[in-house]
Amino acid sequence: MNKTKVTSVVIIVLLIVLILLAQSGRLFGNGRESEPEMQHYTATFLDIFDTRTEIVGFATSEEEFRKQADVVKERLVYYNNLYDIYNDYEGVNNIKTINDNAGIAPVEVDEEIINLLKFSKEMYDLTDGRVNIAMGSVLSIWHEHREYGSENPERATLPELSELEAANAHTNIDDLIIDEEAHTVYLADPEMSLDVGSTGKGYACQRVMDYCREQGMDHLLLSLGGNISGIGTRYDGSSFRVAIQNPDLDSEEEYIEKVDLEDGQCVVSSGDYQRYYVVDGKVYCHIINPDTLFPADTFAAVSIITKDSGKADALSTALYNMSLEEGMEFVNAQPDVEAMWVFHDGKKVYSDHFEESTVK
Amino acid sequence: MKRNDVILIIVILVLTFGFVIASGYRQSRRAVDHAMAVVTVDGEEYGRYPLDEDRTERIELDNGAYNVLTIAGGEASVSEASCRDQICVHHFHIHYAGDTIVCLPNKVVVEIVGGEADDVDAATH
Repeated sequence: MNKTKVTSVVIIVLLIVLILLAQSGRLFGNGRESEPEMQHYTATFLDIFDTRTEIVGFATSEEEFRKQADVVKERLVYYNNLYDIYNDYEGVNNIKTINDNAGIAPVEVDEEIINLLKFSKEMYDLTDGRVNIAMGSVLSIWHEHREYGSENPERATLPELSELEAANAHTNIDDLIIDEEAHTVYLADPEMSLDVGSTGKGYACQRVMDYCREQGMDHLLLSLGGNISGIGTRYDGSSFRVAIQNPDLDSEEEYIEKVDLEDGQCVVSSGDYQRYYVVDGKVYCHIINPDTLFPADTFAAVSIITKDSGKADALSTALYNMSLEEGMEFVNAQPDVEAMWVFHDGKKVYSDHFEESTVK
Repeated sequence: MKRNDVILIIVILVLTFGFVIASGYRQSRRAVDHAMAVVTVDGEEYGRYPLDEDRTERIELDNGAYNVLTIAGGEASVSEASCRDQICVHHFHIHYAGDTIVCLPNKVVVEIVGGEADDVDAATH
């Protein structure tokens, strides 16, 4: 054996080892091999807020992601039970309990109910009464007709205006009496009831995401029945991208717009294309205009982008009930609120800075 | 000299071979990622159907309710359902990974797993 031979064999062996190491990433990859890859996961729930909940997150394994999703779900169930107007839960005083005790007695409630009601009053003031959670008596009449009309389309009926007007005499938000010291809520008008449909989901969505942020969670997107709120970005640093559904369900185009969300931004749409019923060929949606006591029908949908999901929820309802001119003036006077109106013929109108978020 | 040439050739062969196996392994992992329509009823998996085979599947629920899943041309849709709101039937056809059609009254979810991904994380409705 000559020396050159031995040396070349050794060099070759070393080269092989080096190349293998380089390829497996152990040499230059900063230990990337030992750090498992982040995967994108989605969890869907159908049993919260009578709607569909989607949680989008990133984790190294499905089990890891489940842990995050379970935290979010647990918080959502808590708010679901508090803000429910139709069901009782053992050991919980919720909005239904408050309604059941209208004109009878103040009800001691969880602080998060008081916070939602205070927030809803703020939204009432901000929107000049177009978002009114004290409209339960009117909304419940529509709810009954809509339920019946959906079950029996041939016999679908509209409420009488006189009946609606009579109910509307019991929608004064000043009869909602909050005692923060005693932690109680009292409805002074026995005929009155609360319906938090225009604020509850959005407010809950915001509170849950605030909680997740406090817990140090990141790269998380929550859709609570279309109230969408994000923390941070996707794991790769790109923005979460949200599609806005085309209200024209017969169209080939699934989405009418796509928007990229900055950290903390929320988006929500209100429209007449999901919850509605039909009477004599005309569509009546679930959003009732407090001025006419009938469903609004100017737009097919209104979408809002802002930094607070509760506010987004309330304002999308408010704008749906306003004319375009009035809504435009309102939105452009609000800091950090942008809107897109979609008409029934598909025409889109944007507020001043909405298009800064859209995907070109 | 001649022997060294042989050694060099063997080394190159081994390295090439190794590289091919490594990248082939990666690709085969991706190919397993085949698009399926996964149907769940109240959170329990009911069935999974490949998107590249046209078919019609009647999803029967214990309470007599049903949804009809149709797979055609690489897209899944609900063509018929017993629910009263019919939102699932009016829903557009889906084919991107992560896309879902939900029937709330029947608690039926059709979700696409695997396959081509969309650039969208969530949608308003």
